[in-house]
Amino acid sequence: MSSSIPDVFTLKEPIDAPDVAVRVTDLRMRYGSNDVLHGVNFTIRRGEVLVLLGPNGAGKTTTIEILEGFRVPSAGEITVLGENPATAGEEWRSRIGVVLQSWRDHGRWRVWDLLEHLGSFYRPYATADRPRPYPTDELIDTVGLTEHRRKKVSALSGGQRRRLDVAIGIVGRPELLFLDEPTAGFDPAARRDFHELVHRLSDLQDTTILLTTHDLDEAEKLADRILIMNHGRIVADGSADQLARAVAGSAEVRWTQDGSRQVHATADPTEFVRELFAQERVRGDIGSRITDLEVQRPSLESTYMTMVTR
Amino acid sequence: MSAAGYAARCGARRGRIEFMNSVRAGQDMAYYVITSLVLLLVLYLNRDDTVPGTDVSVAAFMLPGVLALLVVVAGAFGVATVLATEREDGTLLRLKSVPYGVVGYVAGQLVRVCLEIAFSMLIVLIPAAFFVPNLMSDGFLAALGAVGYLVLGLLAVLPLGFIIGSIFKNPRSVGGWGMLVITGIVFVSGIFTPLATMATWVQILGQLTPTYWLGLGLRSTLLPEAAVAVEIDGSWRTGLTIAVLAAWAVVGLLLAPRLLRRMARRESGSGVAARREKAMQRV
Repeated sequence: MSSSIPDVFTLKEPIDAPDVAVRVTDLRMRYGSNDVLHGVNFTIRRGEVLVLLGPNGAGKTTTIEILEGFRVPSAGEITVLGENPATAGEEWRSRIGVVLQSWRDHGRWRVWDLLEHLGSFYRPYATADRPRPYPTDELIDTVGLTEHRRKKVSALSGGQRRRLDVAIGIVGRPELLFLDEPTAGFDPAARRDFHELVHRLSDLQDTTILLTTHDLDEAEKLADRILIMNHGRIVADGSADQLARAVAGSAEVRWTQDGSRQVHATADPTEFVRELFAQERVRGDIGSRITDLEVQRPSLESTYMTMVTR
Repeated sequence: MSAAGYAARCGARRGRIEFMNSVRAGQDMAYYVITSLVLLLVLYLNRDDTVPGTDVSVAAFMLPGVLALLVVVAGAFGVATVLATEREDGTLLRLKSVPYGVVGYVAGQLVRVCLEIAFSMLIVLIPAAFFVPNLMSDGFLAALGAVGYLVLGLLAVLPLGFIIGSIFKNPRSVGGWGMLVITGIVFVSGIFTPLATMATWVQILGQLTPTYWLGLGLRSTLLPEAAVAVEIDGSWRTGLTIAVLAAWAVVGLLLAPRLLRRMARRESGSGVAARREKAMQRV
């Protein structure tokens, strides 16, 4: 970069740190006079499953499209697998996988034909440790479409179609996979199968995954780390557990004493409960015994609601 | 082989698969068959008449123009419609997400449209051979000349298809305006009536279309020499024909890749989603 302004992020870590798959620094996007992203910063480590969580209109899709190289940002420094997606070439493209939102494309194609065809573009990019493309039959089996392999794409159900979209996204054995709301419209069984598939990809193939969703349960199940996005900003960054703790730093302790129900919010429930029992012992009064003790960590849902309504 | 060259080969296979998918689809097959039946009926009804002032059969006069029309309709209108449709339904973006996918996409379109044109010509030519007199009376060399003109004609109109398809965002507007333009072209480009017998303004408009020139070139190779009498200036104007078609091709080949690249660069998922949203509201 020719910029003479010192960049704190590049000073902290070299831009091509081998364990960093994605680095986003001060990403801004403006459509006309409407700011959609106001200075987004985050990194994704290699092998990590990062979930971008947020309400509709938070800027998730815009962010993911910029990282995919389909959209040029108004400002900011973006490095995806060591390159700027806006200028990266086709070799770079061969290393990433994109699962688009589902459309009606290729409706006349048969499932097997389409997967074989789109996979064939990756053949020149095969390496010893990443044979490309994924063998078509194996992949169809992996996503559970074997009995539908001769079907026309237009004849698939919504869930089957989505599994095909995922198969297309991974046919080139990507190092980095983008999934934009992959389970929208799934029934619970299809959702569970999909979650297993994501775990398998992440564990066996060492694939880095960035996934957007507004399903909290899904985020909690899949994510190594969650970014909560709201109004074009990252408002929280951490594991589901860390995020829950971060909100007001609080857990709720409830108990019954002297016949009345007590509630106390505290950052350190263990220490609070220790104190509570110590006091009880000091009083030594049978009538004021503590019963029905509960410690409740805030759920991801309550964390999320706090974050996005702030 | 370079990766781009490899992608073009993947694209050629894509074109063959798409053509086979289209042949298998009842809707497309019906379109091919009905078009061919209508054209054959027109030829058949004119089989015994001769062009005034000559002994050339009207059916024989019409046939080269019909071939030219098939090339222009499939090459320009067909490609434009498919391109606009496949931008809307996400096909192009899907290809954009694989390495050199857009190269493969364009190669696929070219192969598909060539197969389609060859197929639609054969289903007109084979039955026509049984009742159109003097067809191919000049033998092998004439056929070779005709193929040469067809290739030149394809080069002239295919870029046009990509240009129109890149400019229009919406397949329905390509369809609507396209039908209007094609009707106009059929009227002014001297396919069913010699252009020389029509009003001056029609002659001027007709000579602005590649359809007229392709038809003229094909007539010069497929019809007996005497048929030249009904052409403008009583000449085949071979040099001019080649020059005009080549000019269309050069301009098209210069513009099309630029427009196509610009259009492809702008495709994104939310763009496709927004267009789909709009299309659904219209229904």
